[in-house]
Amino acid sequence: MLFFQRKDKSLLQAIEDAEYTVLDTETTGIDPQKDSIVSFGAVKMKGGRIDIGSSIYRLINPSRGINHSSIVIHGITPSDVAEEPLIDAVLPELAGYCGNNLIIGHFISLDLKFINRELKRIGRTPLKNHLVDTCRIYEWLKSNEGSFSRHYSGRRDDLDLFSLAREYDVPFAEGHNALGDAFITAQLFQKFLSRLPGSGVKTVQDLLRIGKA
Amino acid sequence: MPLTINPPGKKIEQGDPARIMILEEAINFLKNNPPFHLLEEPVLKDVARSLSMEFYPRGSVILKQDGPPSEAVRIIKKGSVKILMRTEGEMDSVIDFRGEGDSFGFVSLVAGDRQKTTVIAADDSVCYILGRDRALRLIEANPAVAEFFMSHLTRFVDRTFEEMRGRRLSYSGTDRLLFTTPAGDIAKEVITVSEDTTIQEAARVMTAHSISSLIILNGSNVPAGIVTDRDLRKVVANARSLTEPVKYIMSISLIRVDAGDSCFEAIMKMIRYNIHHMLVIKDGELKGIITNHDLLLLQGTSPLSFVTDIEKQKTVEGLAPVCAKMNNIIGLLIQEGAKAGSVTGIITEINDRLLKKVIEIAEEEFGHPPVPYCFIVFGSEGRKEQTFKTDQDNAVIYADTSSAVAKEEAKRYFGALTVFINDSLAQTGFPSCPADFMANNPKWCQPLGSWKDYFEKWITRPMPDAVLKSLIFFDMRPVYGKFSLCDELRSFYFQLLAKNKIFLGHMANMIVRNSPPIGFFKSFVVEKSGEHKNEFDLKLRGVMPLNDIVRLFALESGVKLTTTLDRISALKARHPVVREYHDEIVHVFELIMMLRMHCQYEQIKEGRSPGNFINPDRLSNLEKKSVREAFHLISKLQGMVVEMYKPLIV
Repeated sequence: MLFFQRKDKSLLQAIEDAEYTVLDTETTGIDPQKDSIVSFGAVKMKGGRIDIGSSIYRLINPSRGINHSSIVIHGITPSDVAEEPLIDAVLPELAGYCGNNLIIGHFISLDLKFINRELKRIGRTPLKNHLVDTCRIYEWLKSNEGSFSRHYSGRRDDLDLFSLAREYDVPFAEGHNALGDAFITAQLFQKFLSRLPGSGVKTVQDLLRIGKA
Repeated sequence: MPLTINPPGKKIEQGDPARIMILEEAINFLKNNPPFHLLEEPVLKDVARSLSMEFYPRGSVILKQDGPPSEAVRIIKKGSVKILMRTEGEMDSVIDFRGEGDSFGFVSLVAGDRQKTTVIAADDSVCYILGRDRALRLIEANPAVAEFFMSHLTRFVDRTFEEMRGRRLSYSGTDRLLFTTPAGDIAKEVITVSEDTTIQEAARVMTAHSISSLIILNGSNVPAGIVTDRDLRKVVANARSLTEPVKYIMSISLIRVDAGDSCFEAIMKMIRYNIHHMLVIKDGELKGIITNHDLLLLQGTSPLSFVTDIEKQKTVEGLAPVCAKMNNIIGLLIQEGAKAGSVTGIITEINDRLLKKVIEIAEEEFGHPPVPYCFIVFGSEGRKEQTFKTDQDNAVIYADTSSAVAKEEAKRYFGALTVFINDSLAQTGFPSCPADFMANNPKWCQPLGSWKDYFEKWITRPMPDAVLKSLIFFDMRPVYGKFSLCDELRSFYFQLLAKNKIFLGHMANMIVRNSPPIGFFKSFVVEKSGEHKNEFDLKLRGVMPLNDIVRLFALESGVKLTTTLDRISALKARHPVVREYHDEIVHVFELIMMLRMHCQYEQIKEGRSPGNFINPDRLSNLEKKSVREAFHLISKLQGMVVEMYKPLIV
């Protein structure tokens, strides 16, 4: 009973007051069953405010090979991470970092699949935080702006992080890095946040309704 | 079940390139923007770490006037903001724009009472946010940073100017010179005690020496702070123990002045920081102390004792070196952030005084005038809008004479007098007017009757060329002699204007031809060839059209003032266009004048002679944007002039 009361209250919090962890991971490949995390990066937000000093970034030794196609994306080679700690050592830190925050990310459910698989493997509770996908918010905002837009930009290949960054005038450099991408995602989310209340999305509950991953 | 939370960022390796990236971006940004460029690397890093970042869509209100004070200094990373202020019973008016790298919110953060301006995002903007506590610590540890932020605090020169106007520059010849006296010369010997002295002993020392302040030295005999009467009052009010060391109640005095700095600089600092005592440092050592009282004595009744420098001279040769200092002083005023109207006002006051002095010297040379006369100035001088480069635009109106002999005598006397005056002015640094609108041109040295004939001819039989020439005469202003001659002439032509509206039509027709340099696609239209290729003439395309429009409205509405800003404010109640666009017009006028002065100052510093051409590429994005908006307003006003005077335009 008590649990539900508290949960209800947090759902009614204004999105300008809620606390968020914006997260991104880089992996050895794209299969959540087989591939592993090689790095993660995250930054905290309180409402629309990105806390510059709060960022966290870890390189991880995946103790397995890294797909060549992935190395091309994030530039992390096996020798870069040979000396880094194993995932077992750093995941609890990430879990602690996220706390009770809403977790925000671009296609965040994929990142969480990797993280929770590893957490279960080392015998820890998987993350149960609410997840919000910036891509879903984007799509919702577009469809909300008019029927045309959905038709116009609903194409799958337009939805990658950099395309959205370009559209919303968020600065980015080519090449993926977990923290850099988390920062871009945060700035994107920041811009979405400024538009949402005007479209009727005011509470955490509303945010989950349109962006839950 | 919450997991143990590690403090974020605690165990992170220093050299991790990606970790540093976000911070690095912030650090690099700070490094390139004052006042943060003054900080040492470790401090910079620490400051960057404390930052957060926020996004404000265009039009959002970031701070609200009379709202709670700002809880942070905001540094604009991207975009721009406008700052608005509402004075009693008035609408909000834009008082400032800030662009990338600028900051805002400092004043109310320090003052801590309430927000004094409204800040609105003029573009989609991203700001770094430096929280209150970190900002205050930064200021405490870095006087230079404090100084930078504080300079926004008081627009000192505006105040000085107001004060100067209020007192009408009354001064006495015994004043010492504010601009030329080094602070060290008037510094008083300091009485010091060590920081461990008790409060009571400190008070005793102050009483024994009849002083209102005491300098506290630390263990190494370096001044660490100051105790003033104010601090002692607080001790009594709070019933503190008198045996406590004085160091607990002293103010840490960060603000110092070098013994070689002029008293003008010293007084500026005092006003800026609202302090009454300041330490004077010479070669790194404490030389003495000056109080606002000392400075008040020094400045006498005139804050701009510069003019007394002029007053003391007996010859034209003596005036020249004094005038040479003018550009430095104007530069100082501009750097201090004085408003354009104040700077031009001060330049005018000084130039007027110089002109009067020259005429006095001339009269001594040539004896008493045979008939009363009035020396008038017109053009920018008449409008009190001179900047660095001021050509002479002047003339003489003398009283009508009764006999042919008297007429001949007057002609001869004023002929010789004006040649001397114009030459002397040229010697002191005022170039001759290329169009020969000068008193030594017989055409512009005439009895009142002839002047009336001129105006009658211009107004009742307007010819395009003559109308154009006559424009600047409508800005005439008396400077020396019998002012009533000038006033009579002015009344005369206002009467004529009331009966000859067609002249205003000609005038309107003339001034809308000179359009501001805005192309259809919002880009600048610049000169296509010649010396000023890719530049535009800010005076010709910006200042003049606006002056012309305002003059037209003033003549139409019977406003006899000559200064553009004065005209605008008088027209607010009388002219429909000005009533509607008053604030915008004032803002645009200030902006263009300021830009022109800044550019001229830059040119002077680069050793070039100041001109009016500006290359848009040298403007910042914000400046470009503002100038574009300014030109759009001028364009719009010209459109209205066309509409309004259509029936009169031939």
